[in-house]
Amino acid sequence: MGKGRVEGQNIIFISIVAVAIAFIVGFIILAISMILVRGTPNILSSVATREIQFAIKLSFSTSIISTILCILVAVPVAYGMSRLNFVGKRFATTVLDIPIALPPIVSGVALLLLFGTTSFGHALAAWGLEFVFTPLGIVLAQFFVNVPYMIKVLKSSIDDIDPRMEFVARTLGCTRLQSFVRITLPLVRNGLVAGIIITWARALGEFGAALMLAGATRLKTETLPVSLFLNMSVGDLELAMAAATILIIVSVGSLFIFEIMGGHRFEISRYGA
Amino acid sequence: MLQLKGLQKKVGNFELKNINLDIHEGEYFIIVGPTGAGKTVLLELIAGMYQPDAGEIWFDNTEIGKLFPEQRNVGFVYQDYALFPHLTVKENIMFGLKVRGVGTGESKKRFNDIVSFLRIEYMLDRFPSTLSGGEKQRTALARALVTLPRILLLDEPLSALDPQIKRGFQEELRRIHEATKTTTLHITHDFAEAMTLGDRVGVLHEGKIVQVGKPADIFRRPNSYFVADFVGVENIFRGESKGRTVEIAPEIRIRTTYPKDGPVVLTLRSEDIIISREKLDSSAQNNFQGQIVEINDQRPLCRVTVDIGIEIVALVTTQTVEDFNFKLGDKVWLAFKSAAVHVL
Repeated sequence: MGKGRVEGQNIIFISIVAVAIAFIVGFIILAISMILVRGTPNILSSVATREIQFAIKLSFSTSIISTILCILVAVPVAYGMSRLNFVGKRFATTVLDIPIALPPIVSGVALLLLFGTTSFGHALAAWGLEFVFTPLGIVLAQFFVNVPYMIKVLKSSIDDIDPRMEFVARTLGCTRLQSFVRITLPLVRNGLVAGIIITWARALGEFGAALMLAGATRLKTETLPVSLFLNMSVGDLELAMAAATILIIVSVGSLFIFEIMGGHRFEISRYGA
Repeated sequence: MLQLKGLQKKVGNFELKNINLDIHEGEYFIIVGPTGAGKTVLLELIAGMYQPDAGEIWFDNTEIGKLFPEQRNVGFVYQDYALFPHLTVKENIMFGLKVRGVGTGESKKRFNDIVSFLRIEYMLDRFPSTLSGGEKQRTALARALVTLPRILLLDEPLSALDPQIKRGFQEELRRIHEATKTTTLHITHDFAEAMTLGDRVGVLHEGKIVQVGKPADIFRRPNSYFVADFVGVENIFRGESKGRTVEIAPEIRIRTTYPKDGPVVLTLRSEDIIISREKLDSSAQNNFQGQIVEINDQRPLCRVTVDIGIEIVALVTTQTVEDFNFKLGDKVWLAFKSAAVHVL
């Protein structure tokens, strides 16, 4: 091949790559700005409405509670999956990935059947833990869908910590728990913070599973995504765009913090399948 | 003090087979072996990272093979020191005292003693990532020693250091050992390190301890071809022994002091050989004529390789080579005593 042909081919290839990048970046910005352009002008008046205020409060409270539950469960599970060898570990690993692979709406149906139709669910309801068509169901749906992500992020952070560090701590007199709390946990702080942020942002945007388990009842189980859905279906674009704008601001903000915390290493999609 | 009985462990590609060892109270014991011999696994077994597949580990009169690491009271210093990166030097050193709940007064005293002994007062507030190799090493040693371990386990403690400062740290380790009298088990792949530091040395090869002894004894009297080669004996020959004579090449017969018949390995230290222009009229019973095929000058010593039908390396001073004006191709005589020849 002549020098000119090689050069020509390289220029063409790089041009195609450049156009592809420009196209997809532009496309995403364009699509999102459609919402921002409509949502931002009326955002203050929309936020002042009772409905949006209810949705903001419900979204924030359920997502914060479900994130705390995720932390409580994910920390010990991630430690075990990273540090311990046990029978059935591969099986457990696969099971933990199932909620990630499932469409959230399917997870929601599964939870609805478990808590709505079984005697286990009825027993819990009798004890006051009613999940079907209640805000509590939103928390549970968010927890179910998100806890595997939290475990994945944390496990990957713990995997990065040299286990000999914990071992040295143990020769110095620490029990397993002490060496985990004093050495490993402080060292995975960034991963933990990244996990909390991503889990919380995902919980805030959770729609499918919560819709199935908790339903979409105005001013009862109306989170920001549900509010967006309800208002779109009745044609109240102003409120719908306000809810969407708030969700975009929270998502982009948390994505930004997640990246700062080194979250790009975990290579997970934010909204899953 | 530390006794290993029939210890076996397989971890990944490393396998320890039937390790038997008896380390005395206050001793500086070195295990030396090539990379990949499973040396670190052995230390980690003693410290409790793994349970042995078989065999026992005894501290005095207690079997500790099944205890948790935190119950064994060992000090462990890794090759890369494994300092806690989120803690300062001071916090690293105080770590063991805190988790063991040592009282404030006692803690303070032990901390001050070790810090001044190792001369690290100046860096107490720094984080590990800002320390040099030598500073990290002293921090790791202080962190281990301050807990008064029954045994100090050192995993290649000098191999991460620059060659220039290595020598100084060898002396430092010796000084620490003399001051604290802590029983120490140190592993290395460097026999020279073992020679300098060890009260006794064990040679690890393919998962087994193949020889134990004082460093000089192992150096003088390696008990196998592997050990001889490993400790750097340059003249190792396989041959056929008949009485006190070993034929190592056609017509090349070497006199020895060990009567033996059959195949043997023969070692001869290069510094035990004398080179001369004329045949020496000496008591040496081995005299051979040959040709110089290589002169490797490493002042003040010089390795001269002479082909007498088989190549033999002699170590002489550079001064000698210059005085006699030895050159490549020169015909020379080699002389060595039969007692200098070691037969395996």
